[in-house]
Amino acid sequence: MLLRRLITVSVLTAFIVLTSYTITVLNVLGELPPRSLRPLAFWFLNTSFTPWLNYFSAMAPETVTAILWDYRGLDTLFETAVFYFAIIASIALFRGIEEKHGGGYVGLSKIVRVVSRVLIPVNIVVAASIAIHGTITPGGGFQAGSAMAVAPLILIIVFSRFFLKEKGLSKNLLIALRGAGLVGVGVASILALALGLLSGGYAFIFQNQPKEAAPIGLPPDVLGFPAGTLLIFNLFEFIAVFAGFTIIFILLSIPEDVAREALHGKH
Amino acid sequence: MASINLYMFTFSIVVISLIVNLAISLYGVLVKLNIVKKIISLTILGDSANTFAILVGYRATYPVSPPVQVNVPPSPSDVLHLTELSVDPLPQALVLTAIVIGLAINVFLIFLAIQTYRLYGTLNMREIAGIKGGQHE
Amino acid sequence: MFEAFFTLFLMMLLSPISTIAVYLAVTERNLLRAVLFSALQSMCYAFLYYILMAPDIVLVYVPVSIGLYPAAILFLIRKTKECE
Repeated sequence: MLLRRLITVSVLTAFIVLTSYTITVLNVLGELPPRSLRPLAFWFLNTSFTPWLNYFSAMAPETVTAILWDYRGLDTLFETAVFYFAIIASIALFRGIEEKHGGGYVGLSKIVRVVSRVLIPVNIVVAASIAIHGTITPGGGFQAGSAMAVAPLILIIVFSRFFLKEKGLSKNLLIALRGAGLVGVGVASILALALGLLSGGYAFIFQNQPKEAAPIGLPPDVLGFPAGTLLIFNLFEFIAVFAGFTIIFILLSIPEDVAREALHGKH
Repeated sequence: MASINLYMFTFSIVVISLIVNLAISLYGVLVKLNIVKKIISLTILGDSANTFAILVGYRATYPVSPPVQVNVPPSPSDVLHLTELSVDPLPQALVLTAIVIGLAINVFLIFLAIQTYRLYGTLNMREIAGIKGGQHE
Repeated sequence: MFEAFFTLFLMMLLSPISTIAVYLAVTERNLLRAVLFSALQSMCYAFLYYILMAPDIVLVYVPVSIGLYPAAILFLIRKTKECE
């Protein structure tokens, strides 16, 4: 068994190295990787942070965040909606399963608890920093939300699965937070439109900075920090993703006998 | 040994190993009978496809830089310098969306697998296909 | 130029290791070990994303695919008590 695995692994490695050597020697695939930039990428990089071009720039030094929330903002809105619907479907699948309150000594030992008490605030601070700095460094809403989702997982394992409920983060509050995040993303997308309609002109949906036909937009920086609608989007997405992952782990940690009672009835 | 283009050789190794990853994980999704093994193979399949998309955006200049502008506020020569050295930013944004959608589907599949085990008592595809007409009790 | 050769060497080293991890993950009968091999493959991919100059993807990929996916699948394995 071990010999068979070893032979297969070495055959795979040899196949990879020989095939790529043949491709390189025969030079059939052209220049690989390319040296030039595609015209569309040139356009994105040239207008992402150029303050001297009026009505053309997205005013964010981080190009990927600008593409996600400004150039292609509609894609990201629907991606958040897809994640939201998956969580709603999972909650509906596990409906009716109540957790009665447990008692007694649960959780892991004292050393693990003390270390967790030190590390969980560090995790939260790092995740908040990633979310707020999403426009100037690599980061953003989804990255920060998934980094902070490790904290409730550790809390459920180290303390107990009723710990979050005792501290106030019940399942209903988290579902409300998730919905509030999605509503916040939707409202921020029509913020410029509302401002434009109120002041008499018109504006576009998902508008970030002033454009040629609609010279109204959000301020490009707040006290010297690059912002716009991008900062609002990042903060709401951060709350939404964190709440979504916490709901998943609360549902997954319900033990099997509680679920069996709810599904098949008491015997 | 003839002198080869080292960039092209390394890039070909990465491309061929990604293709082999795609093939092995596709075999895992289609042939293996356990649902948990299928879910693991599905996550590997999605990740390999996303890596392919990011590989398309790479660029062979030296020194190569990520698409971040480091001088705030920039001058026109700074922006030109960035477009000469940076990789393509569009595949990275599309891959972020793809990762989130794949995550949503895989999480829902995990919940469906748990519910299947609770109702049918097994996670083997042959046995589940052979159960005629509903639950056990 | 040493830095360029070092990154190329790392790229050349990580891709076959990821292929070996995928093969071991798909053909392993014990599901716990299969999840660990899948986490090893995700670690190789995270390094590869950093070398390919995609820092946003690294920040998403490291918590999601090395931390949260194996945790959820471990919950699944524990609840269903399967061993293939």
